[in-house]
Amino acid sequence: MSAPFLVAKGIVKRFGALTALSGIDLEIRSGEVLALLGDNGAGKSTFVKILAGAHAPSDGDILVEGSPVMFSSPKDAASAGIATIFQELALSENLSISENVFLGRELKRSIFGIPFLRRQEMRKRVDGLLTELDTHISDPEAPVGSLSGGQRQAVAICRALNLNAKLVIMDEPTAALAVAETRKVLSLTRRLAERGCAVVLISHNIADVVEVADRMAVFRRGRKVAERLRAGTNPEEIVSLITGAHPDVRALEKTN
Amino acid sequence: MRHGVFSMNGREWSLLAACAVAIFVLSVASPYFATSGNAATILRNSVELLLVGLGMTLLLAMGGIDVSVGIVMGLAAIGVGRALGADLPVPITALAGPIIGAALGLLTATVVVLGRVPAIVGTLGLLGVYRTAIFVLLGGQWLSGLPTGLTVLLGTTVLGIPIAAYVIALAYLAMWTALRRTPFGLHLLAIGNSEEKARLSGIPVVKVRFITFIVSGALTGLAATFYVANYRNVEMTIGSTLALDAIAAVVLGGTSILGGRCSLIGTVLGVLLLRILQNGLLLVGVPSLWQPVVTGGLLIGVLALEVATSRLSLSQLGWTRK
Ligand SMILES: Nc1ncnc2c1ncn2[C@@H]1O[C@H](COP(=O)(O)OP(=O)(O)O)[C@@H](O)[C@H]1O
Ligand SMILES: [Mg+2]
Repeated sequence: MSAPFLVAKGIVKRFGALTALSGIDLEIRSGEVLALLGDNGAGKSTFVKILAGAHAPSDGDILVEGSPVMFSSPKDAASAGIATIFQELALSENLSISENVFLGRELKRSIFGIPFLRRQEMRKRVDGLLTELDTHISDPEAPVGSLSGGQRQAVAICRALNLNAKLVIMDEPTAALAVAETRKVLSLTRRLAERGCAVVLISHNIADVVEVADRMAVFRRGRKVAERLRAGTNPEEIVSLITGAHPDVRALEKTN
Repeated sequence: MRHGVFSMNGREWSLLAACAVAIFVLSVASPYFATSGNAATILRNSVELLLVGLGMTLLLAMGGIDVSVGIVMGLAAIGVGRALGADLPVPITALAGPIIGAALGLLTATVVVLGRVPAIVGTLGLLGVYRTAIFVLLGGQWLSGLPTGLTVLLGTTVLGIPIAAYVIALAYLAMWTALRRTPFGLHLLAIGNSEEKARLSGIPVVKVRFITFIVSGALTGLAATFYVANYRNVEMTIGSTLALDAIAAVVLGGTSILGGRCSLIGTVLGVLLLRILQNGLLLVGVPSLWQPVVTGGLLIGVLALEVATSRLSLSQLGWTRK
């Protein structure tokens, strides 16, 4: 197996008195879907926001392709090839699909020093991406706020694809979706991995995760309590790891 | 979403219809209303409000606001007046307005953006500071009987159209282009929708907010230049109802008080409707004391109507969002 795309070492995050993450070590590999599992409040979103440059870690290091990085904004992470689809889907409901896909990285041409948007090019690129995702949206100029949950997810995924991201992080992408839309998003995570992307997938649905993830990491109360390859585990074991009933977790939690 | 320079939606057509109805009713009510002289008066009285309204449109669209615009215009007008009085070259006196306005906008942005003070509170605080500054600068006296240099310059016609009209058209086109044709406009609207989401999308939120406050300040300062050119004096009470008028005109025009949605052509129409009503009511004998009542009533009425037709939800007006 190749060197990991991203290595997180001893990541700590405190919010005032609350320690949301205590010493997370994790490796993320290209061409692999890594699932993060854990109960509500386990720290999954917080961890992912640190990788995405949305939060600064209180302690710990992040290495991207072997070199240490310090992200001070989502833009920094994006230029390192990390695209994140946040749980809250950071889409602007008042803007159109193509405006959202390109937001913060618009195509423009300079006339007399004024950066004019290249709306047609942006539209064309987004139409192409939507076709690739097999997503049909009747009015591409409509504000994103008027789209369905699955359509919004597709817009967010377009945004990540458009970045040519090497790591795509999806926080609960299927939480608000109907069954058919969930299938589509899951098959998309596989397709991203086959393209050579590293994919991090956060989900509550263990059945979904076991289906698409190559590797699973279980978070509990701000710690990574277990890591399993798909071949070496089963849904029952994952559940017991999440709830803390698993002997490994008990042993770990007894030691401190 | 398609936006042409003058393209209009339902809201804007209704506003145009409201202007037409007001003109019709007032023409019947007063023989002095429908005269070319009065039309010119209305247009001339609309200029400062329009310029300030353009800036306020951007601010509200971004989820910001500035309640100190009246006094900012006053301070800039003192600068322009003093420059005129000192016989500085006229183009320099004209530029003094926007320059002072932009500098005050920078100060506002520093307080509101860097100080992380809600815009409505920060600009209210600055309003208090500036009011005293005006008093100190004017020493309780009006600037009056200023030279006519600026009035002549802005009134000079090129191809039969006064320079003033070119400046106003340029200001409108510049704002429209920035808002609808450049990344800046998208960023501003995204911030107005949700500052946190805008940040997560990689938008330079602090920079965009700074620029918007500075641009709004410069437009308010430009309004001061027009004010001095029009009236050739600066009195203690300058701009006292400007913030109310501007916010009312902009909200009438269809810009959301909560940000994320705006209309520049709506602002133009809102300004015209407000000034037509204020002028007409004066002509039919309503004392000018009642003007702010009418303006405030319109503002509240429109917001209530938007809640009723659920363009806004009550919980949003209760400031739960952010
Ligand atoms: N911005 C924040 N400020 C304070 N506490 C936070 C913040 N974000 C998350 N937390 C807290 O950190 C813990 C982990 O939350 P989160 O990462 O969202 O969990 P998960 O995504 O696994 O459900 C929770 O206790 C949550 O309340
Ligand atoms: Mg979460």
